[in-house]
Amino acid sequence: MKSWFRRALVLVAAAAPAALAAQMGLGPWWAAQAIAVVTWADPIPGGGGLTEARVVQPMVMLGWRGLAGHLQLQGTIDLEGATIPDGELAPGAWGEGFYDRRHPHTTVHELMVSGMDLLGRAGGPVRVSLSAGKGFAPFGSDDPMSRPIARYPINHHLAQILERAVALVGIRTGPVLLEAGVFNGDEPERPGQWPRWQRFGDSWSGRLTLLPVRGLELSVSRAGVHSPEHRPGAGTDAEKWHAGGRIERAAGPAMVYALAEWARTTEADGRFQFRSVLVEAAVDLGRKRIYYRFEQSDRPEDQRELDPFRSVRPNLENSILGITRFTLHTAGLQYLIPVWHGRIGLRPFLEGTLGTARNDGGGVLTPEILYGSEQVRQLSGGLRIGYGMAGHRMGRYGGLLPQPASHSHPGM
Amino acid sequence: MRRITRGALRYLAVVLLGGLAGCDNTSEPAPPPQGGLSAAAGDAQVAATATTLQPYRVRVAAADGQPEADVTVSWAVVSGGGSIDPASSVSDGVGIAEATAVLGDVPGIQVVTASVPGHAGSPVTFRSRGLGPGFSVLGGGGNVPERYTSDLWVADGYGYSGTWGNRGAVGNALKIWQLDLVGAPSLVDSIVTPGIGTVSDVQVSEDGRWLMFTGERGTPSGNGIYVYELLAPGQPVFRAHLAAAEGLHTGTLAEIGGSLYAFTAKNPPSPSMIVYDLSGASGGTITQESSTPVPANYGIHDTVVRDGICFAFVWNEGVYIYDVGNGTAGGSPAAPVQLATLSIPGGQAHNGWWFWNQLTGEHRYLFIGQEMPGTVGVSSAGLIYVADVSDLRHPAVVASFSEPGAGTHNFWVDEQREVLYAAYYNAGVVALDVSGALTGDLYPLRRMATIRPGAASTYTWGVMLYNGSLYTSDMLSGVWQLGVP
Repeated sequence: MKSWFRRALVLVAAAAPAALAAQMGLGPWWAAQAIAVVTWADPIPGGGGLTEARVVQPMVMLGWRGLAGHLQLQGTIDLEGATIPDGELAPGAWGEGFYDRRHPHTTVHELMVSGMDLLGRAGGPVRVSLSAGKGFAPFGSDDPMSRPIARYPINHHLAQILERAVALVGIRTGPVLLEAGVFNGDEPERPGQWPRWQRFGDSWSGRLTLLPVRGLELSVSRAGVHSPEHRPGAGTDAEKWHAGGRIERAAGPAMVYALAEWARTTEADGRFQFRSVLVEAAVDLGRKRIYYRFEQSDRPEDQRELDPFRSVRPNLENSILGITRFTLHTAGLQYLIPVWHGRIGLRPFLEGTLGTARNDGGGVLTPEILYGSEQVRQLSGGLRIGYGMAGHRMGRYGGLLPQPASHSHPGM
Repeated sequence: MRRITRGALRYLAVVLLGGLAGCDNTSEPAPPPQGGLSAAAGDAQVAATATTLQPYRVRVAAADGQPEADVTVSWAVVSGGGSIDPASSVSDGVGIAEATAVLGDVPGIQVVTASVPGHAGSPVTFRSRGLGPGFSVLGGGGNVPERYTSDLWVADGYGYSGTWGNRGAVGNALKIWQLDLVGAPSLVDSIVTPGIGTVSDVQVSEDGRWLMFTGERGTPSGNGIYVYELLAPGQPVFRAHLAAAEGLHTGTLAEIGGSLYAFTAKNPPSPSMIVYDLSGASGGTITQESSTPVPANYGIHDTVVRDGICFAFVWNEGVYIYDVGNGTAGGSPAAPVQLATLSIPGGQAHNGWWFWNQLTGEHRYLFIGQEMPGTVGVSSAGLIYVADVSDLRHPAVVASFSEPGAGTHNFWVDEQREVLYAAYYNAGVVALDVSGALTGDLYPLRRMATIRPGAASTYTWGVMLYNGSLYTSDMLSGVWQLGVP
């Protein structure tokens, strides 16, 4: 862990001069982020508490824009496979074979090429982009890594579709942005895994975004995902809905960010339904940032391995062991310490979560059996380090969204 | 995208099966296009024996298709006992004639006919079932509170049940039950096996000497097959273990050519049917005879082996039929030869039973269990399909049964009495009459009885008939002894 932390700092220091100025213009750009965090969580599977120190969300983003702004290459290297191979301690987290630990992302988190404003002047007020590669499907909200709260939301697999082989088109006219894409339905099973290319096109999604005023976005998304949890394709299909509103703008001396979202995923022809409501907000006042998140999200319970943090993968069948509804309140404080003329942002932070986990509708794996308790508590403290992250909204391609109002992006 | 609902599948299956089999269980058919006799109401009722049923009604039409009044319809009980009254009735102004049946005193299907000589469609047949006293709880239940119960086998006065998943305690225990003079089970011992998370299947060899169980959801070295020697009933002594890193979902013992084999289902990601030779188990050796890969469409869930024929239930692939020593295609345990593949509507083929009817000598039907998505402990889904396997190279689905609100799991068939007992998860246990020809939709006429032994705590995994009692393993409420209908 420490070696990765050191390497990240060295990387940031060595390449800094090339970055920020070129970020939104032509030429190459890059950015990086990492969080060193100590987390205490109670309960964990089997009961009791656990404290761990990890480096999470270590990533390097590389990009290049050329051809008069019509072509963009974009990649994100995520090193969580090295820093958290067993996941990040987070009660309620789930997905990709992990439970109560947030899974590590794949090493090649994004690798996209975008043709931007393809119609040029001929399009008049209409701008069209085409993007393809490995990345996010046009669905839901921004990746939690580019949001202010260190703790991942439980609804990560209800509100985003990521790390797929995806091809998408974006059309923007005035305040209306429509994106549609096709991709492979299978989720990754380990950090070194690539999408199952032969399944490309078996799933689809679309997102309609309205931008009525600067800094405000309203969106609705829909997706049909084939067999996300069974890579060969024998699993149940997921029908997904998402609606959200996002704001990021100055309010007097403060910079305000807020996200409200609702998501629903149904599986097995509606037999299972998982819902989520999430509201989060952050206010920057000078160097201080305070933030809060309310989340109520459902988690499907799968059969665990002997390691209670891991579920059997591949699945052996299509049943689940129950649904747990997590209702969590997370609040935190950060303080920005600019380094190197503000190019690097250091943010010490303290963050806490309180809430409940309750069984919804029966089943054989309830919180009482799993944890011995329905109360969830978590406390985290650490240091968030970012370089060149301003304005980067992970999972958005084609340059059809407006640039952020400030370089003090919430993800920083 | 796959957007086929279960209801649509069932409808499609029933329509297809009904069409293939000439199913005549329609209760509200359209009027005949030309003069004739057709059923109008009352078919396929299910009630206790000696019950007076709702009236049977037929519709009489003239040659031009219009209702025909004042036609005398004759009614008769053909089989199943009971009575029909009146023996003849006259059609009214809209062509309807009716009579009321009383079921016989003996449980079973009562057949009644309505006839009008010279009319097309005559006679019309009505079938209704008279139910007997049903299942009864004789013993057991509530006896494995710390773990979820999985598979069950009973032999020589002892029962052996596996455990599953995590209920606070991990499913790494094999429970040993002694049956008392009336057959009620009492826990006498347990074998706990480190390194496995679920005892996925249990069986005792036909000669009572070997106890085999399979393990999964554990460590790579713990998962696999375990063989114990029963020096005396209920007293297993460990002899051999062979690891299968991914775990074995099920295992089936079969004696072929004088040797004992275990046909097992190796779990994904590279699923296969692994055949183990247990001949050397007494010396601590288990030998892998063969590994037959199947597509990673989940994989194999269960196997049935009889007379050198192996049926492997390969989820969305359907049923694979192998010669593993029958002689028809030169197959052996070391080199299975596939004879045929049988698909079922909706896939998710899970388990089965090859029905050797002891009354007729027929080996005609294969019962196939389908396991569709559910919430373990609460809900389940899936049908029973019936395939005609008279020609093993050309099997065909001919019938289906769907229990409302539940899905099936493991089977046992009383081949003398022609009764299929099906574990039905949240619906408990269902008994089906599988006598005679099986065609079309078997619900509700073939449904003899059902029981949820644990009431709200019922999620039944398996069933086994032994000494006249039906023993069941219930994931929530343990091991039960039931009286059968």
